Amino acid sequence: MFLAINEVKKNKLRFTLIIGVLMLVSYLVFFLSGLATGLENLNRESVDKWKATAIVLTEESDKSINQSSLTVEDAKDIDVKEVAVIAQINLVAGNGYQKTNVSIFGINKDEFIMPEVTEGDVFKEGNEVIASDALKEDGFKIGDELSLSSSSEVLTIVGFTDKARFNAAPVLYGDLETFNRVKFGEAADVNKEKVNGIVIRDDNLAAITTNESLEVIEIETFIRSLPGYTEQSLTLNFMIYFLFVISAVIVAIFLYVLTVQKISMFGVMKAQGISNNYLSRSVIAQTFILAVIGVSVGFALTLVTGAFLPSAVPVAFDLMRMLIYGLVLIVVAIMGAVFSVLTIVRIDPLKAIGG
Amino acid sequence: MVVLELKQVKKTFGSGHKQVEAMKVTNFSADKGELIAIIGPSGSGKSTFLTIVGGLLTPTSGDVIINKKNLADLNEKERSKIRLKEIGFILQASNLVPFLTVANQLKLLDKVKKENMTKSQLEELYEDLGISDLRAKYPADLSGGERQRVAIAKALYSNPSIILADEPTASLDSDRAYEVMELLKNETKNKKTTTIVVTHDVRLVEYFDKVYKMTDGVLEQVK
Repeated sequence: MFLAINEVKKNKLRFTLIIGVLMLVSYLVFFLSGLATGLENLNRESVDKWKATAIVLTEESDKSINQSSLTVEDAKDIDVKEVAVIAQINLVAGNGYQKTNVSIFGINKDEFIMPEVTEGDVFKEGNEVIASDALKEDGFKIGDELSLSSSSEVLTIVGFTDKARFNAAPVLYGDLETFNRVKFGEAADVNKEKVNGIVIRDDNLAAITTNESLEVIEIETFIRSLPGYTEQSLTLNFMIYFLFVISAVIVAIFLYVLTVQKISMFGVMKAQGISNNYLSRSVIAQTFILAVIGVSVGFALTLVTGAFLPSAVPVAFDLMRMLIYGLVLIVVAIMGAVFSVLTIVRIDPLKAIGG
Repeated sequence: MVVLELKQVKKTFGSGHKQVEAMKVTNFSADKGELIAIIGPSGSGKSTFLTIVGGLLTPTSGDVIINKKNLADLNEKERSKIRLKEIGFILQASNLVPFLTVANQLKLLDKVKKENMTKSQLEELYEDLGISDLRAKYPADLSGGERQRVAIAKALYSNPSIILADEPTASLDSDRAYEVMELLKNETKNKKTTTIVVTHDVRLVEYFDKVYKMTDGVLEQVK
């Protein structure tokens, strides 16, 4: 540590450059992780809000909620602590000024997936809905009457709730009767028992139904099966993983060049009896110091940038994930220093001092 | 008391018809408090002698014994420890770490040797070598003579039994060269160190207790 700190103090410009590169790489990693979390939330936040353990869909729906069709009666055959039925459809809603894609959830308001209203009231009468507050940012407000694509029904926003987007669309929550009128129109009465899925909250998922046409899907599996979700997450995560590799290579190159410049100095030190162990620990300590500073500045810069981004940018910072990525960056930087350590170990003090 | 002994030591490089005998069979010993010069022209084997004595080069045959420890019986890690604890090196090129101040050059040894000098011993070392005012300076801010004095301070740190100096005056003018030799002589006598200086500068022979001449790998005492 003694050699490491003193070298950094003496060669501030040189090490500021290395810190700068590490800072930029970590900034990019943190920002991409924010983007990945934000995009994931766009897809899953309404599902996460259920705090459910599984969802029951028809086996033939291939884990797709809008391809699944079952009845309210099916829910009664499921033996778990808490169940909630859900019907879902994607439509375009407009208030006369703007239109947007929405996902409509038909639910029973006395069941556990009923969202908490953050502004306004709970739906009471027919065709009243609670809307995702993401719509508020788009200019929708309480009292707006929403016309719908492929339905003659008009819905009225009576309240807003937070964290309510599903598969990148804001959610409108209404009761099952309202939902059926929207989906089936005049045939609503005939289809009044139909729903798309049954949401379950119970730790024990074994043998909860004997109906072989139904499939019990854990919530995380259900989310990963949402259209585009896995592909999108994998793409961003691969970019992050490549950045880890790139950061290790950058650090390795920088430190290797610095080490090569100091071969003669290390050789003299080894001739004087200073051990490989001491010199290697010094290089590792130096890398650790540089990485911690670079990653910390990158972290702070990401949070500052996040505070100034428009709400349309889907960025959400998951501090735990960022902390883990920060630690991984520090670890890969240290791995990059291993090259330099090997170089030091191989230095022949005799050659270095010109013997 | 014998501090350093070479018994039947020989060093050859290469093999077959390319074999070069850099140091022919040599016997040598040095007592505590002796200041010894190894003189000779370039390529005569002086540096080979010094690196063998310093445990940096393994002889082809023979034994190098430092304070009753035969280097042939030690592994690299143990030889490294001997160099750290029992030998002080002064090299032709500055052996100072460029990013450490003079004070920190000695502090580094303090950390790696783990044989801390007391504050008064350290002050005495600074005073003896006339480098008290240079403590906050970096090697690049020092003159050649000052750098060599700091290098001597490093070599003397925590009182090693042997000092090995490779052309310590090569880059200095006459006045500075005499000054450095005076310092080496005083420290050798005061601290009862064994100092071996490899040099081709015959002006300095008057400072030494013994002078050996190396010619084509053959070492013979001339004083």
